[in-house]
Amino acid sequence: MATALAQRQAGGGVFRLPRWLAGDHPFPWLAPLTAMLLAFGVYPLLYAVWLSFQERSRVTRQFEFAGVRQWATALADDRMWGALQTTVVYTLACLAIQLVLGMAVALLLDADRRGYGLLRALMTLPLVVPPAVTGMMFLLMQDAQFGVLTYGLVQAGLLDPTQPLLGASSTALAAIMLADVWQWTPFMVLIFLAGLRALPKEPFEAAAIDGASPVQAFRYLTLPMLSRVIAVAVLIRSIDLFRIYDYVYVMTGGGPGTLTETLSFYAGRIFTLANFPYAATLSLIVLLVLNAAAMLFIRLTRIRF
Amino acid sequence: MHGSVATRVLRDLAAWATVLLFMFPLFWWVLSSFKPYTAIFNTTPIFFDFTPTLDNYRVTLAGASRVGLAVERGGGVGTVAGGASSYFSIPSIVDSIIVAVGSTVLAVILATLAAYGLSRWEMRGKQHFVFWVLAQRMMPPIAVAIPIFFIFRDLGLRDTHLGLVLAHTLINLPLAVLLMKSFLDDVPRELDEAAMIDGASRLAVFRMVTLPLVRGGLAATAVLCFVFSWTEFLLSLQLTTSIRTIPVKISTFVTSTGTEWGFITALGSAALVPSFIFIMLVQRHLVRGLTLGSLKD
Amino acid sequence: MSFREHDRKTFIADSARAYAQRRIGKREFLRRMGLAGVGFSAFAAGFLGGQRPGGGLRISKQALAQDSGPDPEMMKWLAEVGRPFAGTTIRYTSEATPPTIVLSQLVKDEFTAATGINVEIEIVPLEQVLQKATLDVQGQLGTYDLYYLDQSWIATFSPDMEDPRAYYDAKPDLAMPGFDWDDFSPPLVDGIAKFEGRLVGIPFDIPIAILMYRKDLYEKHGLKVPTTMDEYMANVKAIQAAESASGIYGTTGQMRSGHYSLECEWTIWLWGNGGSIFNASDMFSGGDEEGIRGLEYMMELSKNCPPGALTWTWDGQGQSVTQGIAGQLVSWGEFFPGFDGTDSKVVGLMEAAIPPTPTRVRPSSEAGFGEIPHIGHQGGSTLSLSKYSSNQEAAWLFMQWATSKDVVARGCVLGGGASPVRLSAFADPRTKEAARVGPGTTRHFPAIEYTINNMMGSEPDFPAWAEMANNLIPVELGKYLNGQTKTAEECMAAIEGPANEMAAPFRRT
Repeated sequence: MATALAQRQAGGGVFRLPRWLAGDHPFPWLAPLTAMLLAFGVYPLLYAVWLSFQERSRVTRQFEFAGVRQWATALADDRMWGALQTTVVYTLACLAIQLVLGMAVALLLDADRRGYGLLRALMTLPLVVPPAVTGMMFLLMQDAQFGVLTYGLVQAGLLDPTQPLLGASSTALAAIMLADVWQWTPFMVLIFLAGLRALPKEPFEAAAIDGASPVQAFRYLTLPMLSRVIAVAVLIRSIDLFRIYDYVYVMTGGGPGTLTETLSFYAGRIFTLANFPYAATLSLIVLLVLNAAAMLFIRLTRIRF
Repeated sequence: MHGSVATRVLRDLAAWATVLLFMFPLFWWVLSSFKPYTAIFNTTPIFFDFTPTLDNYRVTLAGASRVGLAVERGGGVGTVAGGASSYFSIPSIVDSIIVAVGSTVLAVILATLAAYGLSRWEMRGKQHFVFWVLAQRMMPPIAVAIPIFFIFRDLGLRDTHLGLVLAHTLINLPLAVLLMKSFLDDVPRELDEAAMIDGASRLAVFRMVTLPLVRGGLAATAVLCFVFSWTEFLLSLQLTTSIRTIPVKISTFVTSTGTEWGFITALGSAALVPSFIFIMLVQRHLVRGLTLGSLKD
Repeated sequence: MSFREHDRKTFIADSARAYAQRRIGKREFLRRMGLAGVGFSAFAAGFLGGQRPGGGLRISKQALAQDSGPDPEMMKWLAEVGRPFAGTTIRYTSEATPPTIVLSQLVKDEFTAATGINVEIEIVPLEQVLQKATLDVQGQLGTYDLYYLDQSWIATFSPDMEDPRAYYDAKPDLAMPGFDWDDFSPPLVDGIAKFEGRLVGIPFDIPIAILMYRKDLYEKHGLKVPTTMDEYMANVKAIQAAESASGIYGTTGQMRSGHYSLECEWTIWLWGNGGSIFNASDMFSGGDEEGIRGLEYMMELSKNCPPGALTWTWDGQGQSVTQGIAGQLVSWGEFFPGFDGTDSKVVGLMEAAIPPTPTRVRPSSEAGFGEIPHIGHQGGSTLSLSKYSSNQEAAWLFMQWATSKDVVARGCVLGGGASPVRLSAFADPRTKEAARVGPGTTRHFPAIEYTINNMMGSEPDFPAWAEMANNLIPVELGKYLNGQTKTAEECMAAIEGPANEMAAPFRRT
């Protein structure tokens, strides 16, 4: 279509489009995406890199070139290392729970019987709640005095009523993770279901005839066939988990102390307080760690795009 | 699939129990939106022992003013702050729908085209290209928001629907490209080539043959793009002044003298409806059958 | 009563708008008009004259007869002087705070109606106001013409805002007649708006720490209103001991780790015990003898709070009182109208008083960076005019209107008694009329007025203060309250190093 249009504008075929554009070439397919990313994706990165080599004077508020000082500060910053550790723990724990739980729920809901369509739709509902609102929702439920969840746990004898879920060092991070698991397990379910529903029936029927147990069918048929979908889900989810911001912001503000402070939240806080260069440096650390981790993951799992 | 009745019942029970467990926070949230304020906060949580009220919805959705409510309740006019203007949220719902639908359509189109290109041709550096696309999602949003703010200001895109659509498209592209590519990879290339031998153009094959086969994947991708845009907070906050998407609007209900939990729960609950409708519409395509079973061996 | 008349108009206007936009039916519209007394006097007779028990304002018919809406003189002046700017749009960003909510309600029907100047009020959470303002001044973008600036940021934004006093004098043709600068409470001008001898904005909002207590519990247990720090603590413990079985705690707090509210909580007790944040040589002094005593005092209080207090900001603190689970507190006076409000479980049970007298008050001269130690922590804000605004004159008109005598006094009642930044607001018959139990009460005003004039405490002013108050201090305090730092000394030592480093560029010597 675009080709035809271009030819008409160029004056009825006198001008011919180069072969790579008109012919059977991937370029026209990739061009719009690339243009979009170049236009709006590259500048923020360059800007952040530039910032990270600056220093903002608290007196004049001007940026001055500071060499690698911000990076040196970051590497010597205990709070950065603490935040990095919290982020890693948070990411791995949530990822593991969401992966396993998500697969279990997806398998459970992958049936063609009555009511399952509704169940699948309901299951996606947590996704449409804005994370900041989810944070508020759990804040309300986990409030030490007025929260329904706190009340339930205390009644069940599982919680010491003098220890607020979000205020005690032993539970604060887990309390945030609960919100994350609630909201994002459905993400896994949705992606896995899309994969599961697309699986061919024949191999399973053949396996059933051969007397394979459901567990065996899952292990030797479903998992391998879903591996690519799983890998994509894990990649995307890890990236988002590692940049966790909203729940921390709404639910604990990084507290108690800095126990629930994640890297992204720490960077956000520094941004708000106008130390743009250091915040950009912290953001780039997030980017670098994620890059390295993603490359490692891709290499280990031998994903070919 | 051909288990006994007992297994089937057990499975149904487990499925319902799981989903209901996940529904509890939402149930509690929606329930709270019908509670008078004092019933939201009680040291013993109140389940059903309250007089339901629609006041929170009337203020957020019907534009009732607080003053009007106070008059009805027998309070005095002029004793309660907050007019119709600051809590009426229908415009926010409209803004959110425009932005979410717009960015979903744009992201899905761009991503599907690119994913097709990536899945149908071999080229040098493909691995790196995909990784580069993916890496677009790795910056913390706060670090992206500020430079984008400057670009949009210069281009006159700040505080426009188009600007927000572009911004949300940007954050959704990595996810959409990756997902669409993995779905497209499952459709054998031979199929395209077979169709092209019959004389169809690449574009026609893409439209008539390939796309219908990835309908399910397309639906899943669209749902996720919609959801990410619908729920996005930081960029929307930074890039707009008069356009207020729902998450931003809700954040304004946290006031210095107290959080308006009643209005927050009401708008939060109401905001579930359009997105749920969208999901239901799209989810119909997530059906087994048409897809790969018949093609793969 | 002009506020009443005005509000009736707002109500009518709201209803008319709703009707025009078909959000309500004709019948509902007529019913509302009936309520508002349009066309007949049922409204006035049945409502205004009513002796409703337990709430509602009683306004005499005589007062109604005197009612004249917004000050007609001012409206006339606005209409004249605003004409050249008709059609311009000015932008203002603020936290959702009572005076801003009042403005957002009045602006269309009064200011815009008179001048033709459109006002876009963007309401966002406080931290976001800070972030937006920071971004705006860093790029000198002029995205907003007006800002709501918290007192702790005044020094930071001083170079970017016009001095309103100088501006007023420099533009005599735009100067509102009878604006009366001397009417702003001098301590507030000093504490909120002034930095290095110039005004950074006009005082606009004044939450200040006063004592609020449960009268019923005091009577039940024979307690008297505390006048010293020891008595205050003794009352807290007495209530806690007697009432914990019934779920009521001695006091409550805004002690969320890492949040600015915890810094506010701390300074109340620091100053109340004779300490200060900085000493005369601008060095951090929270770790001196008085400082340690103040921190330990707060720790002691936290043990008599609902456990949730460790996770609450001011929001949860106010909520806990409204829901009847706390006996007394020293905190923001702007909570008070809410305690008498329709959503409260303690209507009429709370009383306001001046805070207990500190053991010793460190004079301002012994503190640093303009800090004023005293127990009545003020958390005020200014309305400030950006230097980078391209609609400065139109914005200036709005700013004068918003801080005029008329709007401030009416805002005190409409907004729930939160922003008496002008002396005249305390004396205004409309606010006096509202000083009774019921929503929008002003019966805490005497305590506020006294505290502003005699017991006001104010944080230090220097450009790095916002960073300290929003990050370093509340994070370390959070560690201490939570037991991650063991002793008060350790906690203060952790703040001292970085604080002194951050303050270094601004030290006078």
